Amino acid sequence: MTKRKHRGIRLSDGAVGFILAAPALAIFIAVILYPFLNSIFMSFTNKTLMSPSFKMVGLNNYAKVFADPTFLKTLGNTGIFVFFSTLCPFVLGFIWAVILNNKFRGAGVLRGITLINWIVPGASISFLWSFIFDYNHGIMNELLRSLGIITQNVNWLGESSTAMVVVIVARTWQMLPWYMAFLTGGLQGVPFDQIEAARIDGANNLKVLRHVVIPGMKSMITIVLVLGIIGNLQHFDIPQVMTSGGPAGATTLFSILVYNKAFVGYKVGMAATIGTIWAVLLAVFSFFYSRSTSKN
Amino acid sequence: MFQKTRGYKFVIAFSSITIGIFVIFPLLWMFNTALKPSTETFKLSLFFATPTLKNFQSVLFDKDILTNLGNSLFVSFVSSFAGTLVSMFAGFSFSKFRYKGKNISMSIIMMAQAFPQAILLLTLYIMMQQMKMDGSYFALILSYIAFILPVGTWSLKAYFDQLPDALIESAKIDGAGWIRITFQIIFPLAIPGAISTAIYGFVWSWNDLLYSLTLVTDASRRTLAPGLVMKYMGEFTNNWSQMMAASIFVSIPVTLIFIFLQKYFISGLTSGAVKG
Repeated sequence: MTKRKHRGIRLSDGAVGFILAAPALAIFIAVILYPFLNSIFMSFTNKTLMSPSFKMVGLNNYAKVFADPTFLKTLGNTGIFVFFSTLCPFVLGFIWAVILNNKFRGAGVLRGITLINWIVPGASISFLWSFIFDYNHGIMNELLRSLGIITQNVNWLGESSTAMVVVIVARTWQMLPWYMAFLTGGLQGVPFDQIEAARIDGANNLKVLRHVVIPGMKSMITIVLVLGIIGNLQHFDIPQVMTSGGPAGATTLFSILVYNKAFVGYKVGMAATIGTIWAVLLAVFSFFYSRSTSKN
Repeated sequence: MFQKTRGYKFVIAFSSITIGIFVIFPLLWMFNTALKPSTETFKLSLFFATPTLKNFQSVLFDKDILTNLGNSLFVSFVSSFAGTLVSMFAGFSFSKFRYKGKNISMSIIMMAQAFPQAILLLTLYIMMQQMKMDGSYFALILSYIAFILPVGTWSLKAYFDQLPDALIESAKIDGAGWIRITFQIIFPLAIPGAISTAIYGFVWSWNDLLYSLTLVTDASRRTLAPGLVMKYMGEFTNNWSQMMAASIFVSIPVTLIFIFLQKYFISGLTSGAVKG
């Protein structure tokens, strides 16, 4: 056959396959793998952005970071942020997906409008929610006052106790559509005959939810939760724009701490140290992610 | 799926109203504020009484914002196009070829999104400085491509998986070379998948703040998201109307693209995340 005759001067199939994947791998090495390894290396140095020279300092940076109350506070903040910013939009997105799954008129349009919230840039979302919760002119204070719930305006973004709540509300608003989109797909995959069978056995709505719907969506739920957690561990935009991580560090997440150490304080070595510790946390979740996806 | 009992009806009615208000009201309030004169900002009033386009005009005729807009369009188009092309190559490779190291290459690319971005930035920023490329978009665009790759490669691989191998085999028998097979036979069949990746890439590049804030130091080359943050950050106490108009303005391109191509986007996104 002609195919055989040409084999000698043509690339083998395997070689073609590798060449096709090469650009992706090269970009990965250049902007992810090398920077990552180099940043881990810098975590053992006293490198700053002010000068190209640096010295090895061993584990000094790590000792300093763990002794620093700011780091522990950031760890706590990130934990609270990740927990509530994953749970709240997940639960609300789930309920919203169930509601819009009742094929009433306008359900599709409503789903489309909901998704706009997720498409809007983080900077715009931050402006919008800063305005809603603004001390002097925000509609939230205006509303609560006219309902008689508060008598004096609350400085939502200016108080340590409320700033994180507002940041989580804004993040929930941003991510609800994302969970809704995935969970709608999951809901449509729940086997209908199993629901029928459970009904015949006399199961009520709660039992159907617990024993048929949620188990049927288990893989989807795992994936959105793990992806959601990874995304939230990385999150930067909303607390950076709304509060710059303040007041008094109350909304400083890992990403903001690394950013501030490196690009405000110029201490790249220290920033890399915090980043490395944070990467270990992310690696744990990524491990669960790859496990949960490989099962499908 | 659920029986319409009293309890069910109550829960659904209650959550429809509360979640509905939570989801939709803030967007309406943003429009409402942007369409009111700035003297009215502080009132709970609706814009109908005194609608104005002045806030949008001041955004549209702002030189800085227009420069930022041009930069954002350029960066997002280039990143989205290049990211989609590289994803198509990789997706095709992972779907239809067998070679040593394939599985590890696949899992490496899938992991790209899980690396903490802020820590990568530290090295990228220093590399840019050393190579005297502070003013160029090179590192920014390359980073965006890297972040498009996991979802892009994955969803396109799922797409190529659906194409029968016989398609390639018969083209080979007809004497087509790999370049022809790739560009003229396989890629045209994957266009819907490519569109969803391209939208994803555009939205990602358009909305990113962390990288664009750090890797672009030259004010004339700044993109829209960091441009607006720098412009309005200092004056958080006033001019909310203009800020809301600017926020809507930044959202228009991504929202339009999304509305027109929503169908591709959702199916691409979910198939990419679920099918291995």
